[in-house]
Amino acid sequence: MHTLVSIPDALSIVAVWAIVILMAWVLGGYLYAIYTGKKGRLDRFFDPVERFIYRLAGVDPSREMSSKDYFLNLIILNAFQCGLAFVILSFQSYLPLNPQHFPNLSWDLSLNTALSISSNTNLQHYGGGSSLSYLSQMMAIQFLQFTSAATGLSVAVAIFRGFSGRFGGIGNFYYDFVRSLTRVLIPLSFVAAIILVALGIPQTLNGYVLVKTLEGGSQVLKVGPVASLVSIMQLGTNGGGYYGANSAYPYQNPSPLTNWVEIVLMMLIPTAVIFLFGRMVGNRKEGNVILVSSYTLYAIDLVISFITVTTIGPGMEVRFGAFSSVFWTVTTTAFTTGSVNASLAAFNPLVILAAFMGMLIQATPGGIGVGTMYMLMYIVMTVFIVGLMAGRTPEYLGAKITPRDVKLAVIAFLSHPLIILVPTALAYSMGAAGAVGAGKGPVGFIEIFYEFTSAAANNGSDFLGTSANTVFFNVSTGIVMWLGRFIPIAVMISIAGNMSGRVRNIQAGLRTDNLIFAAVLVFSIMILVVLTFFPFLVLGPILSYLEGIPNGL
Amino acid sequence: MDSDAERGILTGKSAPEEKKPKLPVAKILEESIVRMNPAKLISNPVMFVVELTFFLVGIMAIDPTLFPVVSSGSEQVFYVYVAVILGITVWFSTLSDSIAEAQIRATASNLRKIEQEVKAKKLDGDRKVTEVSSKDLRKGDMILIEKGDGIPIDCEVLEGLAMVDESLLTGESALVKKAPSDVLIGGSILMSDSLVALVSVNPEETYLSKLISMVESSKRPKTPNETAISILLLGLTVIFTIIVAAILWLSIELNLGVDLSVLIALYVCLLPTTIGALLPAIGISGINRMSRDRIIAKSGKSIEAAGDTDSLLLDKTGTITFGNRMATEFIPLGGHSAREVGEASFLSSWNDDTPEGRSIIDLAFREGFVPKEFSSIGRAESMEFSAVTRMSSVKLEDADDFHLPKGGRDILQRRRVRRKYLNPDSGVELEISKGAPDAIKGSVPECPEGFDSTVTEISSSGDTAMGVTVGDEIVGIIRLKDKLKPGIREKIESVKVMGIKPLMITGDQPETARNIASEVGIDNFVSRAKPETKFTVVREEQQGGKVVAMIGDGTNDAPALAAADVGLAMATGTMAAKEAANLVDLESNPAKIIDVVMLGKQLLMTRGAVTTFSISNDIAKYFAIVPIMFASLSVLQKINILGLSPHVAVLAALIFNAAIIPALIPLAMKGTRFKPRSTMSIFLRNAVTYGLGGIALPFIGIEAIGLLLRLTFGGSL
Repeated sequence: MHTLVSIPDALSIVAVWAIVILMAWVLGGYLYAIYTGKKGRLDRFFDPVERFIYRLAGVDPSREMSSKDYFLNLIILNAFQCGLAFVILSFQSYLPLNPQHFPNLSWDLSLNTALSISSNTNLQHYGGGSSLSYLSQMMAIQFLQFTSAATGLSVAVAIFRGFSGRFGGIGNFYYDFVRSLTRVLIPLSFVAAIILVALGIPQTLNGYVLVKTLEGGSQVLKVGPVASLVSIMQLGTNGGGYYGANSAYPYQNPSPLTNWVEIVLMMLIPTAVIFLFGRMVGNRKEGNVILVSSYTLYAIDLVISFITVTTIGPGMEVRFGAFSSVFWTVTTTAFTTGSVNASLAAFNPLVILAAFMGMLIQATPGGIGVGTMYMLMYIVMTVFIVGLMAGRTPEYLGAKITPRDVKLAVIAFLSHPLIILVPTALAYSMGAAGAVGAGKGPVGFIEIFYEFTSAAANNGSDFLGTSANTVFFNVSTGIVMWLGRFIPIAVMISIAGNMSGRVRNIQAGLRTDNLIFAAVLVFSIMILVVLTFFPFLVLGPILSYLEGIPNGL
Repeated sequence: MDSDAERGILTGKSAPEEKKPKLPVAKILEESIVRMNPAKLISNPVMFVVELTFFLVGIMAIDPTLFPVVSSGSEQVFYVYVAVILGITVWFSTLSDSIAEAQIRATASNLRKIEQEVKAKKLDGDRKVTEVSSKDLRKGDMILIEKGDGIPIDCEVLEGLAMVDESLLTGESALVKKAPSDVLIGGSILMSDSLVALVSVNPEETYLSKLISMVESSKRPKTPNETAISILLLGLTVIFTIIVAAILWLSIELNLGVDLSVLIALYVCLLPTTIGALLPAIGISGINRMSRDRIIAKSGKSIEAAGDTDSLLLDKTGTITFGNRMATEFIPLGGHSAREVGEASFLSSWNDDTPEGRSIIDLAFREGFVPKEFSSIGRAESMEFSAVTRMSSVKLEDADDFHLPKGGRDILQRRRVRRKYLNPDSGVELEISKGAPDAIKGSVPECPEGFDSTVTEISSSGDTAMGVTVGDEIVGIIRLKDKLKPGIREKIESVKVMGIKPLMITGDQPETARNIASEVGIDNFVSRAKPETKFTVVREEQQGGKVVAMIGDGTNDAPALAAADVGLAMATGTMAAKEAANLVDLESNPAKIIDVVMLGKQLLMTRGAVTTFSISNDIAKYFAIVPIMFASLSVLQKINILGLSPHVAVLAALIFNAAIIPALIPLAMKGTRFKPRSTMSIFLRNAVTYGLGGIALPFIGIEAIGLLLRLTFGGSL
């Protein structure tokens, strides 16, 4: 028995981490400057643009919002964008920029897709390259990939303001949202897109290209505005690719180099947000604790996935080899991006177990903005449970944890198993699982369980793919994605709003800015998540592993 | 008493002078059964759910056919076992409640003995005495208390001077002197003379009845942390309900062959039954220990807040030192003699009934410094010590007539005085003052050489200096020695290691203060404090986000007591102070504030420890039950690391789950043991003991119980 990881492989992981952490550290400083309104050289350029947007939208970005206000504005905007995407997808055949003359999407597929993209999930029940017009790709998919990522960043910033208690409130949603777009996501993805184009990813609006192959046959080259979409799908931890096969498709991920670049892109902003947290709460060590904890959990996932030799089955992307594919899969679930560079069905069950862990924890380090939010949810619960043992009322960042905080954090936490387990069982009861070919054994169970876990965690990778384009799965996963996205956001913003005005004590209780706490936190997260999902992991990947079936065969 | 209480809290043992009451076993058993009534149990959701599962498995045991698919007729005996253990689990929880309640009732009945109804002598407007029952006294009534009478109710002395025995309340055997405006607590006994007192409360509002009602109240409000834990437990219950429901559902859909009783066993094992069962007992035991220390908490919140204390304001006098400083030396200055100082001190102290004043008289007598102006002292006009001027003085207007003072010193001394001063000179007017050196210095035009250096020398050696003036001239200094309370240094040390900042407040000179402070290891002190200083200090400390605890007894302390997060008032203090504080100490022992802080911490720790332990336990229970739960998935035997057969695994896990409750009752009652250490090291110790220990122990426990079951039942299980 040999393991998948050779020394160069391990070193390449370390190198990627080092590059990401270094870049994220720099980016974290930049994010801090933008969200705290520090004057900068770029203001001359951005300020007029943003003023124009604010005036156009008729909003006052300086108004301090209550947590309820903040959330209402956020959800209304997201619902509006989701509705827009739904309309575009439903009527794309009547709309311009459809050189391939793709028909309208069915109502349930349009609904699922709109909910999926707007919730930063990008679960794809559609075949991107073979069913969406350029307009749909850009307006319904790419535009929402920007706004959902900006929503995630805004949520993080608002929550950080509240937790820190140093900003007199949680801020203004439009201020955060617009700045996230103009100063973070658009410039970064522009740069990333140029790099990707340079590395060979297509970017064109000229329609598919028909070429004669060497054998004399003909082939359609499905090119389009791919590079710009890939850059934001990875940067914004969206994961919805241009093609159904996602980053396993050569035009989306043509070389090992693009493979590494795309991994770095998906890790970049979630990691930078952790540094932003440390800066915003005024104690970078607090941020470092989250960084260490989330990367430790990420490392645990990697260790699980590399325990044994992988069975490479059909569908495995052989261009990059098993190591790259496993590393990508664990990373894409750890950051809840959901882009894939190899078919999940080809992996050893333990890789799938690791993927599950990423999506069940959601904070390893998790999706853009919300990953750190989930970490704060775990911190509130952990500080409360174990903090009492220090003989003081538990405090985080000097604020006492109140019964209300505990209640809300528990609601956020328990919403996750609820929206995963109920529809999973329902899928079997209603015969929907059988209809998509999922059997009653561990393999079939993994497919269904994974589908809803991925939806609830706003990850977007899945086993079923376009085969889940049924009314049941489109509607159920659609609901799960929105609940999985917005229940925790609502709850955590509420905690933050409540915490922002709370009296800060000198921090004399359990210290949360050292490695001891990081260890306690990792322990506590593992226990909470394992306690909640252990029986289901046993029924899925663990059973599959014990039975020695490479899943998907 | 205070050192005992200290030991009690630190070691979890009850104070020895409080004999452990024999608990009525039959009553406890009966009550624990009554409490199993579901209607009563509903206030404890975790145990209520366990009881529901007990009924469910009970029905399965009676007729398995009622549950097709998820039960089987051949398992009927096993269902009986499961049902019995579930029932016992619920009973253990009600038992722990009943034991805690019984303990607290024992405490209450001890207190009630003190509060017995007595005859009171009520005075009407014409000072005529009518005998009434103490129950019929109202606030504002005037009563007469004579030698040997029990004090019928809390009251305030109007006239007279007497000694009172408060030992029933405080366990302190020394008699306490009571003078006008002092507070008498109902239940104590007058040992000498007689007093006229004004009833200050209605019978149902006395501190003793407040203490009893605090102890007995079933509507004891939950503290914020208790509420938060209850919410967490409810949340966990909901999560595990979702999980178990999903398993059942999937098992039916996927034909996994789960038996309902096994699933219920898993459910009950996962539920936080340990903390759910013990949480009420922990709260009750906290109140019980408070009442044994004779402290009335106006809300449970204040006890918890005490655990959070960052800054502890300690009065030097009474808390750190005994406060009755003794005069040891008269130091003359500016060409005066020791005799002159002694005589002046004598005169200025004659009407000063404080321990300091009496010690000055004693010293002067012993040295033979009895002044000739003694004759006119009976008509002297004296100004009592005031906290504002920090001086007391006496003015002898006509020092020629000699009157033997009434009462007081022994007959021989009086004769000696009479012989010496029978024919004094006439017509001298004399004003003598004594007081704090800086106040004295400010009251005279010039200060003799050596005054400051002597004061500094006295202060730096930890003693107190008191200046004496005759007319407008400083004649000398009295040296007073102060004595530290026993054990106070260790207490302050333990407070410091726990990260609490002790802050000493005193009206003394900075030098004296620094000396005492350094002797007991306090780094921060406020000297030359005026009464209102306390309030300023509390506010200043709170500015930095600190939780401040303090003690107080005077009306001057009331604003500070109200402002402080934890205010402990002395029962002998003024009404205003007691109203403003959130804790009242019936024993009036200021040093007890430290014990209250420790108790607060211990309660928080115990709750956290049992919660963590309860959650950590679940890992092992998963590993015991999940591998054998899905009858159709035999391959899961590979992860059956405990290697128990299905029935044994389920019963062992359930038995462990139930048995851990009574096993932890003593912990819940006495609290987790802890030595004063830094917060982080206390945390680490607890985290390892209850967190990691909580993960490991059930693996061992379940395996051991499994082994026992196999030995006992052999293959029949």
